[in-house]
Amino acid sequence: QAETTPLLPPADIISTVEFNQTGELLATGDKGGRVVIFQREPECNNEPYCQGEYNVYSTFQSHEPEFDYLKSLEIEEKINKIRWLPQQNAAHFLLSTNDKTIKLWKVSERDKRPEGYNLKDEEGRLKDVSTVTSLQVPVLKPMDLMVEVSPRRVFANAHTYHVNSISVNSDCETYMSADDLRINLWHLAITDRSFNIVDIKPANMEELTEVITAAEFHPHHCHLFVYSSSKGTLRLCDMRAAALCDKHAKLFEEPEDPSNRSFFSEIISSISDVKFSHSGRYLLTRDYLTVKVWDLNMENKPMETYQVHDYLRSKLCSLYENDCIFDKFECAWNGSDSVIMTGAYNNFFRMFDRNTKRDVTLEASRESSKPRAVLKPRRVCAGGKRRKDDISVDSLDFTKKILHTAWHPAENIIAIAATNNLYIFQDKVNSEMH
Amino acid sequence: MEYKVEAHRIMSISLGKIYNSRVQRGGIKLHKNLLVSLVLRSARQVYLSDYYGGVCVRSPHAGGVEWGEGDQMDSDGSRSTPDEHGGESALVSDDSVRIPEVSVNGPAAAVEGQDIEDLAPGSDYNCQQSPQEDVGSVKTEGSGSAETGGPGSGSEHCVSRSENSQQGSAEVTATCCTRKRGAERSASAGSPVKRPKATAVPALPPVGGEGEGPEDMDTGNVSSLITIFGSSFSGLLSKEGAQPATDSEDSDSGKICCEQMLPNLNPWSTAIVAF
Repeated sequence: QAETTPLLPPADIISTVEFNQTGELLATGDKGGRVVIFQREPECNNEPYCQGEYNVYSTFQSHEPEFDYLKSLEIEEKINKIRWLPQQNAAHFLLSTNDKTIKLWKVSERDKRPEGYNLKDEEGRLKDVSTVTSLQVPVLKPMDLMVEVSPRRVFANAHTYHVNSISVNSDCETYMSADDLRINLWHLAITDRSFNIVDIKPANMEELTEVITAAEFHPHHCHLFVYSSSKGTLRLCDMRAAALCDKHAKLFEEPEDPSNRSFFSEIISSISDVKFSHSGRYLLTRDYLTVKVWDLNMENKPMETYQVHDYLRSKLCSLYENDCIFDKFECAWNGSDSVIMTGAYNNFFRMFDRNTKRDVTLEASRESSKPRAVLKPRRVCAGGKRRKDDISVDSLDFTKKILHTAWHPAENIIAIAATNNLYIFQDKVNSEMH
Repeated sequence: MEYKVEAHRIMSISLGKIYNSRVQRGGIKLHKNLLVSLVLRSARQVYLSDYYGGVCVRSPHAGGVEWGEGDQMDSDGSRSTPDEHGGESALVSDDSVRIPEVSVNGPAAAVEGQDIEDLAPGSDYNCQQSPQEDVGSVKTEGSGSAETGGPGSGSEHCVSRSENSQQGSAEVTATCCTRKRGAERSASAGSPVKRPKATAVPALPPVGGEGEGPEDMDTGNVSSLITIFGSSFSGLLSKEGAQPATDSEDSDSGKICCEQMLPNLNPWSTAIVAF
């Protein structure tokens, strides 16, 4: 059973969701270029239900629409990804990116302010010097908490194609940004240059066969990173081997099942998201119909494959027509790497327990999620016997898609972005999966 | 046949998507367009495999091998229903369109930017399986019915072969032609970029002429394409017409790709009723 706390952030469509390393903060980015940060309230011991709810902490405009005059192209302000930096002092830092530009933001609290200036009065107006008869030392007085967000770095002009991923290195000094064809390595303090570490752009663009779809640094080894491709392959690269990591250290690829071949085989094999497990031993990938767990030591096939919504396999043509087949679903590990989660249609999201092999389908919707309500497992009926409350495949709402999900790094708290609504579910007791 | 109709429909949809991607906010999405082009290619191969499987060598137009020039469609009585996308129709060359032979290393090839480049149908999709054959068979003419692959799993190289033979003249002598059908000679597993994309080389017969030997299509010379289209479809292509000089680069790459690709879509010239 899980309890729900639906929240309603800005009206725009949420495009990314990310917890920070402690789970205290949750950032969302939207299509309008805004970032909203939620903070978990400290638990109160007296009230049983006052257990760490997330409330809005800060909202700011991260990116604005831009126009590239040279190419006559509009650059969308939609936030594609947010990544938090590991916290090193009182302030929090996060990276946010749109299609072209990555920005480093500092989020800090101010709860004191200086009072008693000699040359300014309380409202900040300059005093007439002749009225100053004595000197005082300004003192810090408490004030209402104010959260200040300021841009510290702007990493621009390094990507010709659309940036799809950013990932902070475990060294906490560098990060990478990946677009369709290239991956660049940055130092967090240096904005005027970056190193290109992967370049798959062919000399002749006519020969293009695949693009980079996601990239991530290994959680512990600062020299390793992985990137996924539109062909369904994963490449693990070692930055110690060469400056340009075009040669992979490992290539993870599963041979295609010929019986599943169709016009759309290539599209559905494109990997939309890749995530290292917290342990660093496994990789989680999402393609259109499945999530797969790969062992870093086994390249020829995934360790586990889970069907997210295989009942869509016979509907690929319709999904191609309405563009749903291009939806990029994300995936997530829980803190202990025992459960994986991903979104689906009709505001459903799925969780797979790797140990028990059980899975559950849940729905994020206002109708079914009153505060403190317990989520009821859902079932999609693809023909055959239909039970009460089952949803038939044909009545799935494909406009309600859950592309972005995030799992608290340590606890059973998940954040689900359903179009323009953010749902945060907390697990009070061990969830039962079936 | 059912799958042929299906393939046809999918091609139609794909073209529409490519066309619409040009007007999308944020620029052309390389990933999506690449995927759409792959589908388009697959559908086209299925469509053509059957098409040429059942049809004899077409003469009079140079062994009926012209690529996408609608010559074949001339002889093919069937026309598919006009496409829903007016714009899409507008982009498809009609039978009379001939693309001048120009140096291929045009701006499109050099474009840095939002290229969706290579939307050439019939390219590496199948060439991966049978690289050498594709190249080799290119020169042969008209044995369209030769190797017709079914649309099923084995169709990859079967289809490509039939396509190739159908294209006969459409070959890539063009060293500079960016569209090489021919596969992955140097396919290296390591790097995706190193697989040469076997792209169909559209053989465009000279204007008004019959398809002769392989000719190169200038995939980069959009301005001439625009001019041609513009004159054929006045009013519909006001967008293109208004930007004749903006070939290459970026946002036009979608246009470039459409226009590059469309002549290859042989069956399409009848499918899309010009208006």
